[in-house]
Amino acid sequence: MRRDVLYTILALAVIALAVIPVGVAVFVLGFVYGDSPCVMCWEQRIGMALVALVGLFVLRYGPKPKYLGMAVLVAIWGVFMGIRHTGMHAARDVGQGFSAEILGAHTYTWALFIYWVSVATMGVLLLMTKKEDIEDQPRTLRPLEWLAGVVFLVVIAGNIIQAFASTGPPPFMGQSDPVRFSFNPTHWVWSLEEWSPAPISLRGRWSIDKPDVAAVSSEPGAGPLADLPILSVKTQSKLTLPLAGTPTDLAYDPATSQFLVTTQQGIYLADETLGKVNRHTVIDVGFAVDLGQFGGAAFLDKGAVMAVGENKSYVVLEPNDKADANANFRYFLESFDKFNEVSRSRFGTVRGRMMYTMSAAYDPATKSVYTVTVPNNKVKRLVISRFGRDLTLSEEFLPTIAAESGLKLTGKRTLDEFYVTGTAIADGRMYAISAAYNTLLTIDLHARAVVAAHAIPGLVRPTGIALKGEDLYIVGESGALWVVARPPN
Amino acid sequence: MEFLNLVIIFIAACLVLRKPHKERLAFGLLVVSVLLMVFLFSIATRTGLLPGVNY
Repeated sequence: MRRDVLYTILALAVIALAVIPVGVAVFVLGFVYGDSPCVMCWEQRIGMALVALVGLFVLRYGPKPKYLGMAVLVAIWGVFMGIRHTGMHAARDVGQGFSAEILGAHTYTWALFIYWVSVATMGVLLLMTKKEDIEDQPRTLRPLEWLAGVVFLVVIAGNIIQAFASTGPPPFMGQSDPVRFSFNPTHWVWSLEEWSPAPISLRGRWSIDKPDVAAVSSEPGAGPLADLPILSVKTQSKLTLPLAGTPTDLAYDPATSQFLVTTQQGIYLADETLGKVNRHTVIDVGFAVDLGQFGGAAFLDKGAVMAVGENKSYVVLEPNDKADANANFRYFLESFDKFNEVSRSRFGTVRGRMMYTMSAAYDPATKSVYTVTVPNNKVKRLVISRFGRDLTLSEEFLPTIAAESGLKLTGKRTLDEFYVTGTAIADGRMYAISAAYNTLLTIDLHARAVVAAHAIPGLVRPTGIALKGEDLYIVGESGALWVVARPPN
Repeated sequence: MEFLNLVIIFIAACLVLRKPHKERLAFGLLVVSVLLMVFLFSIATRTGLLPGVNY
């Protein structure tokens, strides 16, 4: 009795799997509405057919371990295919996706769900299976089990017809962007595009190297801008502040006469001579929004400070002499009673997506934070992003070269080669120091254009810049501190 | 290639239903079909084998 119930459930599961996803896909979506699967949809559909086929094996030969093992393997591969396919579109805006939508979800999403249900169903059947259920001889199929087999064959036959029309005989195979299904052979497109050479990668376009200031050329003469005027270093010294880590950015607040220095995880408020730390803390970058390591520092309004991670996540702190050390245990690793954490979140960019940043600057005039991207092994663009009062993307642009600047690009070089590691803003101008080619770019934020550029020979891996009065303070990875005069224009 | 794979599946199912004594052959076809599916999906996604999301 129990065994009959098991086989009945299995037969119904085979029919359901054959009819609902695989059958509806071919007979309704395909033959009626002209939907054609992409190459990944084809494999997911075939995987569902294979799970159903294993079900037929079990109906005929009993629940032998090799069949159950095969069913689990195919379904798990199906779950992987579903995640791989859904992942391509999962981060798009609401309603966006690829191809048809069914009951509010795109087809590839349903594939993930169906495989998940398949695995769960197999788990339940395995729990109910006993040792004596394993058959020595092929079983005689009951009418419902025959029906499952016939339904399966009809559905597969339909898919064979669609596959022949849509993908063709071997070696042709499915396409990334399929053509609408038609019974008319003149509309058929058989493609070999998937066989064409392409680089093999695990993470594809997501395989992006972390920024590395040591990996760029510091030689100004090798840069994309020709014959730059030189900005001489007025003084050079070394930071003596007791920092945990190396300096990653610098900012100056004339209202409080303090410098802000960030290290990989540390935030330091120092006096105006950079000789003494007034207060500091070390952020616990885990257990919440992953801040990575800081690349940018900025003073906001009313003394609040912001540290921006290279991954464009940020934390905002407020100095407070009476901060609750116990409450701050969860946020900080050192000096628990000097700051309150105001917020910790992430900047979202559009043109700057898939790129890291090593800088941050605050513009009091527009009450905005700016970041600048650094190029990487996949994406090479110089993108300036502005985040308004709500710290949401408010403006984004790729600066051009102002005609009146007299600057000239050499050959086919571009501004995208610069590796901006620090920025400071005053009077609508951004001063951006590039570790690549030791170049200081002056960018008019209103005109969205580079209006001047200067070579600063002698810098070694600059990581931050701050404007104090008419001097630009540039800090290096090693703790070196260079002071240059703010360019006249 | 999907056409070929579906034909293999069809034949395997026919064997299970109509010639159950050819169990080994049917299972062999099942294995070939599974491997072909894995291979074709991997070919189609070779430029980014893992799901393209943040890790």
